[in-house]
Amino acid sequence: MGAYRHFPILMITIPLLCAVLMPFLGYLRQKWVAWAALIPLASSTILGFLLIGKVPPDGYISYHLGNWAPPWGIEVRVDFMGLFLMLVVCCISFLALVFSRRYIEREVSGGRLTAYYVLFLLMSGAMLGFVATGDIFNLFVFMEILALSSYALVAITGNRNAVRAAFKYVLMGAPSSIMVLLAIGFLYSATGTLNMADLAGRIAESGYSEVLIVSFILFVIGFGVKAALFPLHMWLPDAHSIAPSPISALLSGLLVEVGAFAILRITFSVFTTSADNLMAGTLDAVSIFAAAAVLYGGIMAIMQKDLKMMIAYSTVSHIGYIFLGITAFTREGLAGAMYHMLDHGLAKACLFLCAGCFIYMKGYRRIDELKGAWRQMPWTCFAFALASISVIGIPPTAGFISKFYLIYGNFTSQRWPYALVLLVGAILAAVYCFRVIYYMFFQPGKEGAWEENTRDAAPSMLTPIWILSLGTLFFGVFSGLIIDSLLKAAQYLL
Amino acid sequence: MKRVVSLLFIAALLALLLYVVANMPPMGDPENPTNSSEVIKRYLNEAEEETHCENVITGIILNYRGYDTMGEVTVIFCALAAVLAVLGREKRGKIYAYADRSRVPSSAIVRTMVAFLVPFIILFSIYTILHGEISPGGGFQGGAIVGGSMIIFTTIFGLYESSQRIPQKLRAPLEGSAVITFFIVGILGMAGGGNFLTYAWPNIATNLQPSVVTWLTILVEIGIGLGGAMVLISILFSMIREEEEIAVAP
Repeated sequence: MGAYRHFPILMITIPLLCAVLMPFLGYLRQKWVAWAALIPLASSTILGFLLIGKVPPDGYISYHLGNWAPPWGIEVRVDFMGLFLMLVVCCISFLALVFSRRYIEREVSGGRLTAYYVLFLLMSGAMLGFVATGDIFNLFVFMEILALSSYALVAITGNRNAVRAAFKYVLMGAPSSIMVLLAIGFLYSATGTLNMADLAGRIAESGYSEVLIVSFILFVIGFGVKAALFPLHMWLPDAHSIAPSPISALLSGLLVEVGAFAILRITFSVFTTSADNLMAGTLDAVSIFAAAAVLYGGIMAIMQKDLKMMIAYSTVSHIGYIFLGITAFTREGLAGAMYHMLDHGLAKACLFLCAGCFIYMKGYRRIDELKGAWRQMPWTCFAFALASISVIGIPPTAGFISKFYLIYGNFTSQRWPYALVLLVGAILAAVYCFRVIYYMFFQPGKEGAWEENTRDAAPSMLTPIWILSLGTLFFGVFSGLIIDSLLKAAQYLL
Repeated sequence: MKRVVSLLFIAALLALLLYVVANMPPMGDPENPTNSSEVIKRYLNEAEEETHCENVITGIILNYRGYDTMGEVTVIFCALAAVLAVLGREKRGKIYAYADRSRVPSSAIVRTMVAFLVPFIILFSIYTILHGEISPGGGFQGGAIVGGSMIIFTTIFGLYESSQRIPQKLRAPLEGSAVITFFIVGILGMAGGGNFLTYAWPNIATNLQPSVVTWLTILVEIGIGLGGAMVLISILFSMIREEEEIAVAP
C-alpha cells in the first residue's frame, strides 16, 4: 500500500477543512475568498485523478480510520463506482465554483458572500464523504452536512421566494433525514453493527426480517426525498429554479444523483441481492414510481414557461431513468445508471449555467424571451444546444450511450414496458429541448429584446460551460474508456 | 382533501413503525444482536485500555468513531454557516449602542449577579471540557455551557457589551477550531505512521503511546469546546443583531 491509500480521506477532509478556514479569510480579505475556495476543490480533483487505475473494477480500497479494524472503527471504502462518482462530483463542483465567482457577486453581497463559499465547500466535501463511506452511520452524518448546506444555499439570496422554496425543501428534507436515522437504528437493532460489509453478512443470517424490510422501506423513502424520486420530488422544481444558477447546477447535476447512489449502495452493498426476497416488493414499487417520474417530469417540463423550471422538471424525469437502471438488476442497467449520473451531471450543470448566463446578462428567465438569442450570445446558445442533445440522447453524445445501456438493461431482464417508457421519455425530452433550441436559433427576437451591442457572457463564465458541454461530447465518443470498467464493476456488485 | 391525504400518510407510517417495534429484538435481552455482537463487547471490555479514556463513551466517540464526530462538528459549523447565509453577520467595526428593549430595565441585583456568576459558569465549563475523558462531560457539553453563559450575559447587558468582550476578530478564526483540531490530529496520525485520526502513533515507543493518546484526546476536547462555544455565540449575535440595529437607527 503506497501513499495513495490516504488520498480518499484527503479528498474528503481538505474541502471541509478549507471551508472552516474561510470565515477568517473573509474577515481579513473578502476578495481572496473566491479564489481561495478553488484550491481545495482543485486539490481534491487532482488527488482523485491520481487514484485512477489504483482501484480495480472488481475491487476496492479500504481505509481504516484511526487504525481500527472495520466493525469497530469506521471504514472508507472506495470501489470503482464510488471513485467514478467522486471524480464527477469534484469536476462539476469545481467548474460550478469557477462560474460562480462572477455570477454570485451580483446576487449576494457582503458577509454572505463568504458564507456562500463556506457552504459550497462543505457541500462538495460532504458529497465526497457520502459517496466514499463504508459505514452506514457515517453516511447519515455526511447526509446531514449535505442537507443543511443545500437548504441554506437555496435561501442565500434572501428574497422572499428563495426563502419560501428553501423552507419547502426543509419541510421535505428534515423528515426524510429522520427516516434514514430510524432506518439505521432499526438495522442496528437487528444486526448490532454499522459497517456496510459486516451488515451484508449479518442481514443474511438475521432472524428479524420484519425489522429489516421496514428499515429498507424507510431507507428508500428517506433517500428518495434527497434523490427527488417521483412522488417525493415536490421540493425540487422550486428549489432548483430559484436557487442561484451555480447552486442549481450543483443540486441538479450532483445532489440528486448522490441520493440515488445512496439507494444503490444500500441495495447492492448492504442488503445485497442474496436478501432480495426482502426487497423485491419495495423495488417493484420503486420501478413503477420511476417510470411515472420519467413521464410526469417530461410532460411537466413541456408545460413550463420558465427556463430553469423546465430544466428542473427534466431532472425529475432523468432521476426516473437512473432508478429504472438500478431496479433492472442487470449488468447493463447498473452500468447505464452510473454512466447516466456522469452525462446527466455534465449536461444538467451545463444547462443551468447557460440559464445563469441569460439571467446574468439580460435578466431573462422565460423561454419565449430567448427568441433570437443566438445572434447576440452565440457561445452560450451553442453550448446549450449541445448539452440539450445529450439530454435527449442523440448520438454521438454521452446521453445516447447511457440511455442505450439503460434500455438494453431493461430489455435483457424482460422489463419491456419500462424500456418503452424510457424511449417515450427520450421523445418527451426531444420536445422540450427542441422547443428552446427552436426559439433560440430560428425565431426572430422581439423588438428591443436584444439590442445590437449585447455581448456574450465573460470568458470566466463561458469556459466552464464549454468544458461541460464538450465533456458530454467527449464521453459520448470515447465511451469505451469507462463503460467497460463500469460493466465489470456492475458485474462485481450483482 | 390535503388534510385527509396527509392524515392517511401519517396513519400508514404509524402502523409501519408500530409493526417494527412489535417485532424488534427484546429490549435488554443479553441475546439480542446489539448486546451479543463482538462490536459492543470490545467497546465495553477493552475501550479503557485501548483508548486510555476512563469514560468509555468519550473513548468511542473520539477514538473508535472519531471520524463520525468530525462529521458532527462539521454539522455544527454548517449550522452556523447556514445562519450567517440567511441572516448575515453583525457588521464589524460598527459600534452598537446598548438598546434596552424591555420596558423595565434590568435591576441592579440581576446585573450584579450575572456579572458575578458568568466567570464561575465559564470555570465550570473548563472543568467539564478537561474532565471529558474521565467523567461525564466533554467538549460538546462544555462548549454549550460557555454559549449558555454568553446568552445570559447578552440578554442582560446587550449586544454591545458582549461583542466588545468577544469581538468578531476573535470568533472568526476560532469558530472552526473543532474541525481544525480534528484535522490536525488526523494528519499527525498519518505522520506518526498510522491512518487518518490514529491516536496511538505506531512510529513511537510503546510506552509513550498512552500519554500521547491522552494528550491528543484532551486536545480534541478543547477544540470541540472552543469551537462549539464560538459557534453558539456567533449564532446568538447574528440572530439578535437585527433587533439591535433597528433600535439604534437614527
